[in-house]
Amino acid sequence: MSAGKILVVDDDPQIRRVMKATLVGHNYEVIEARTGEDALESIPREMPSLVLLDMNMPGMGGLETCRAIRGGSDMPVIILSVRNSEKDKVAALDAGADDYVTKPFSIEELLARIRAALRRAPSAAEGGPRSFASGELEIDFDARRVRAGGKDVRLTPKEFDLLRYLVAHAGKPVTHRELLQAVWGPDYGDEPEYLRVFINQLRKKIEANPARPKYILTEPWVGYRFAGGE
Amino acid sequence: MRALRFTAAVAVVAAILEIYRILPPEKINNTTVSLSLLLAILGVSAWWGLAEAMVASVAAVLGFNYFFLPPVGTLTIQDPQNLVAFIAFLVTAVTASQLSERARRRTAEAEARRLEIERLYALVQAMMPGGSARKTIREFVNKVVQVFGCDGAAFYYRPTGEILRSGPESRPVSDHDLQAAAEIDDVSIDPGRLLATAPVRLGGRPLGSMALIGGLPSEQTVRAIVNLVAITIEKARALEDASHAEAARQSEVLKSALLDSLAHDIKTPLTSIKAAVTSLLGSAPGTERELLTIINEEADRLNQLAAEVIAMARIEAGKLHLEKRPVAAADLIAGALSECAAPLKGRQVTVKAPKELPSAEADPEFVEQVVKQFIENAVNYSPEGSPIDITAEVKGGKIVIGVVDRGPGIAEHERSRVFDKFFRGQQHRFSTKGTGMGLAIAKGIVEAHGERIWVESEPGQGSAFYFSLPAVTGREAAGGRES
Repeated sequence: MSAGKILVVDDDPQIRRVMKATLVGHNYEVIEARTGEDALESIPREMPSLVLLDMNMPGMGGLETCRAIRGGSDMPVIILSVRNSEKDKVAALDAGADDYVTKPFSIEELLARIRAALRRAPSAAEGGPRSFASGELEIDFDARRVRAGGKDVRLTPKEFDLLRYLVAHAGKPVTHRELLQAVWGPDYGDEPEYLRVFINQLRKKIEANPARPKYILTEPWVGYRFAGGE
Repeated sequence: MRALRFTAAVAVVAAILEIYRILPPEKINNTTVSLSLLLAILGVSAWWGLAEAMVASVAAVLGFNYFFLPPVGTLTIQDPQNLVAFIAFLVTAVTASQLSERARRRTAEAEARRLEIERLYALVQAMMPGGSARKTIREFVNKVVQVFGCDGAAFYYRPTGEILRSGPESRPVSDHDLQAAAEIDDVSIDPGRLLATAPVRLGGRPLGSMALIGGLPSEQTVRAIVNLVAITIEKARALEDASHAEAARQSEVLKSALLDSLAHDIKTPLTSIKAAVTSLLGSAPGTERELLTIINEEADRLNQLAAEVIAMARIEAGKLHLEKRPVAAADLIAGALSECAAPLKGRQVTVKAPKELPSAEADPEFVEQVVKQFIENAVNYSPEGSPIDITAEVKGGKIVIGVVDRGPGIAEHERSRVFDKFFRGQQHRFSTKGTGMGLAIAKGIVEAHGERIWVESEPGQGSAFYFSLPAVTGREAAGGRES
């Protein structure tokens, strides 16, 4: 049985070749697309379990493609790019990517990132709460449903996992590293910018006033803390 | 034409005399006749001018004397009253003609001035500068000849020493005349040669000179023309400069786009190589593993080299985009250390960065590269296993970060050159890997922050590399990291 179906989107045929050979060797099923447009066309048909998306492509480009994918689904997207500035990483995460890998990369690193992106924390295995309700915010962890301000809110899997981890440790500061490793995987820990982007997005979705958060609080120099039930 | 007017003047006088001679003598007296003649002279002088009026006066006096003054039929004057009448005629003729002459001259002058202003205006409208200063001057000179109806015009453009001429008759003014005219202070008009020359200046700065030949406009107009040409040239030059600046900006944009595509083009094949070789490495047996490791390491080196070349090109093109924010020196050092874990293996690293230091205003991503470069430098140029100290302190209102090694140090004459691109110390010229651009890039980053980078060294004791960063003052210093 395959470990998952991966859509590789890159305009460079050699990169697609290497990825296909390697990923198939690691038991993944691989489909390819040459451009963002091609990718968007094949996603509804193929329903891949993960997308590896090149940032710099002719046509609509990686970021736009990523936003378009996010418009219709929450499958994990890993952006691959030759640029390694923080600004580019943040732009990719803001566009809805789950992760960002700088080219050139070693295949081990990429495989680890793919595993992390495909990994879903099992619903209640960590002994966290099954649900949470306080004021304007209601979360049902089993059904993966969130209501804020009387409206249903759609969270991406990573946003949901982040929220669950914070709620499970409500009242206690959680460090950047701990959060990164819990949500992304054990190979992570030095990507505070990931948290900045995802926490911002979470706040926009569940906080009445994201600039003055009530639930997800920043612990300066440490990390974040979930303040529930006051 | 003139003769006709003289005849007409005499005819008018004769007509008046004839009318009074026909009328019965009891109906008229001499005063009536003389007043009528006076009116006629006034009219002649006003309409035609002094000479005609004089002729009319003489005719009137002679006729009046002959036909009306006793003894009638002779030209003798018995009564001194008659002499008075004669003088009155002359004085009237002279005064009236002078007055009207003046008025006429004024009108003519006003008309000429109106015409010149009209022409200047036409010139201004024609002179919408476009293209180079040179082209604008050529057009201007042609336009002056055309609008003012001169025989020719010439322009000496001092910045390039060029002389532009228009019209077939522009030869009479020599290059030398023009060059000399540029040095004098005012318009000079030579009516004999029908030549006007004037210096062209803008705000006292000499731009050259201009000459007009034949059909000269007034001095004021010549002055206006040269002022206009000065302004037009200046405008053309400003436009030229602006388009140069625009071209330069576009070439910068192009350069930057080129760098980006270079980065992409080099890294894309490296990505395939790296992915393929690391994939093979996972399952390779002994000897192959060694060879694959070499490919992998060299791919990394090529990647590093490409990154440094691009960084250096960005710095030299002034294309470093800094995103400054308050950042703690301790975080900068920690960030750099986390990336240097492998080279620092087996080294004892001491970090002295007090928590209470004010934050620095810097782009952490770039500054971490500087610290990292210092650390790598310390590792490369000091004996294996020797300790490395990293410090952060406040000195003269600046945050100063330093990395100190226990290596052989740097000779004094080499110290100022270690930040030069591709510079290698004498002893290390053939022994140390790297591109020789690391410290030059570090210097570029620090200088882009408007700060200083330097090295202190005691040969035999070690080297200490430092750079400064602006300190954040006030309360924003703490907790400014995230919201």
